Amino acid sequence: MDKIKKIYKKLTIMGKISLLIFIIFLIMGVFSGKIARFPHDNIVAASFVSPNKTHLLGTDDLGMDIFAQILYGARVSIGLSLFVAIVSTLIGASVGIVAAYYGGVIDRLLIRLIDVLTIIPSLPILIIISSFWGPSMKNIVIILVLLSWISPARIIRSKTLQLKEEPYILVAEYYGAGFLHLTRKHFIIELVPIILVSIIKLISRTIVSEASLSFLGLGDPTNKTWGLVLNFALGFQAIYFTEYWKWWVLSPLLAIILLVLAVAFLSVDLEKIANTRL
Amino acid sequence: MKRYKWILDIIITILIVVTLNFFIPRLMPGDPFMYLEGEDGHIMSNFSEGDIQRYKEYYNMDKPLLEQYIDYLKKLVKLDLGYSIYYRHEVSYLIKSRLKWTIPLVAISILLSSFLGTVLGLISAWKRGSFFDRLCYFIMIILNEIPSFLIGVLFLFTLGAKYKLFPISGGFTLYGNFVTRKEKILDIIHHGVLPSLTLMLVSIGDYYLYARNSMINILSKDYIKTARAKGLKNRVIIFKHMLRNGIAPILTRIFLSFGNIVGGAVLVENVFAYPGLGKMMQSSIKTRDYPLLQGIFLVTTLTVLVTTIIGDKINQILDPRLKNG
Repeated sequence: MDKIKKIYKKLTIMGKISLLIFIIFLIMGVFSGKIARFPHDNIVAASFVSPNKTHLLGTDDLGMDIFAQILYGARVSIGLSLFVAIVSTLIGASVGIVAAYYGGVIDRLLIRLIDVLTIIPSLPILIIISSFWGPSMKNIVIILVLLSWISPARIIRSKTLQLKEEPYILVAEYYGAGFLHLTRKHFIIELVPIILVSIIKLISRTIVSEASLSFLGLGDPTNKTWGLVLNFALGFQAIYFTEYWKWWVLSPLLAIILLVLAVAFLSVDLEKIANTRL
Repeated sequence: MKRYKWILDIIITILIVVTLNFFIPRLMPGDPFMYLEGEDGHIMSNFSEGDIQRYKEYYNMDKPLLEQYIDYLKKLVKLDLGYSIYYRHEVSYLIKSRLKWTIPLVAISILLSSFLGTVLGLISAWKRGSFFDRLCYFIMIILNEIPSFLIGVLFLFTLGAKYKLFPISGGFTLYGNFVTRKEKILDIIHHGVLPSLTLMLVSIGDYYLYARNSMINILSKDYIKTARAKGLKNRVIIFKHMLRNGIAPILTRIFLSFGNIVGGAVLVENVFAYPGLGKMMQSSIKTRDYPLLQGIFLVTTLTVLVTTIIGDKINQILDPRLKNG
């Protein structure tokens, strides 16, 4: 607890605001069912009601409440990105530690793979795989994880390489500490800040990737993320000639922008505090 | 021998992408013909038997895998990317026809963003700590984080739909009646403003931050101090010392950030329904025009790969320290 307080005190004003925004979105997502007065996937009013007291952000073309959709979208978008970020960072961390510890052929293979994967542009690959596999949440998660573990693996590998040369690790090794012992007792503790920063960085990347896919019509149609709400709104033919865009398009759009910015500023701050930039 | 290792790198990377492209349709659930045969309840377009035959011939899945692969490589070498049943044309022809929209869009955006980014970065570094510097830095960080197609959507609704300053979709006025050539060109430029402005935002933050950093670095060097001590004019210091030393790494940056711009272009073209390659990619997803989709994937990815590797190479020549990094 003390540690958290210490970190909080070190945040800049932007970082504190960002943290607040992030927590608000998190609460919105976790308690979306309790906060929303209307179901997110059912017709509750006339079409295109402009924002008012009952429908905070108005309704869409079918008469579904947009605020409820934003709440539910927070749950899916944040849930998805947290999951992808955590899983891919853990995979990246394990790969990075193993490669750095054992070195040799494993390490060289990993470096090769990382080099190749980093220069392949991610959006075209996301597009082509998800259009062949079909748009479902499971597929989107798999593809995003496949593309996201690379940068944590790279960072954690080079940090572990540094750690390996530290005197206390060398001493521990001299006394017979093996890979598992070193990892559990020494590496992990030192790597925690990097792992956390990497997770936070991946969160905003995942939100953007998912929104881009949904925007192109490759989102999971049964799970309404913010990107999908935006995609539906932009797909509505008359949207350009009416006032509806002011609530239907802007709500998901600003939600994505706010969350992405909040996470980005937060990660810049945390990166400085943890001093993980290599 | 070691000097040519990077050429081997290019070849290996290209082979990986080409192989990936080969396996993706073959690993998908079902097969690419499912749609053609209408088994999944989608609305069918009226494909002729001949079309379907050509489609199957392209994938020739009834042969052994190795034979398919060799066949596929042979076709690639001949630039035969298959046949689009939706457009009823060769994929390579279709891609060429769309590139004439995408290439100018990308080129203009790169020119604008690298120029503006560098100039603003230079001013920021020169006046480091001033109000201008802090404001610029803040805005650029924000621009760097927000996905630019979302800003494009904002442009579309404000500048396009609300104030009607710019057309909201397309690359030219359909069925427009142009008397002179000049009118037609103006029309095309008018349509291109918002897309290129949005695409510019994809990378301007990147150039700015990079230029600012490297200029700050240069400013701390001894030769700048000497130049100042000699009483040289600011103009001379900026143009002769800073730009000359700072411009080359920024130019290689263009190559290295090409992947971002291509990804951005796909999204931006779809925001503005701009008739380029990215728009066609999206419509080929909708119509499940798999050969076309794969052709576009291959062309864009390979272009990015080659430019990135060239950028890396130039970087190494400029800064030999990177070689062992």
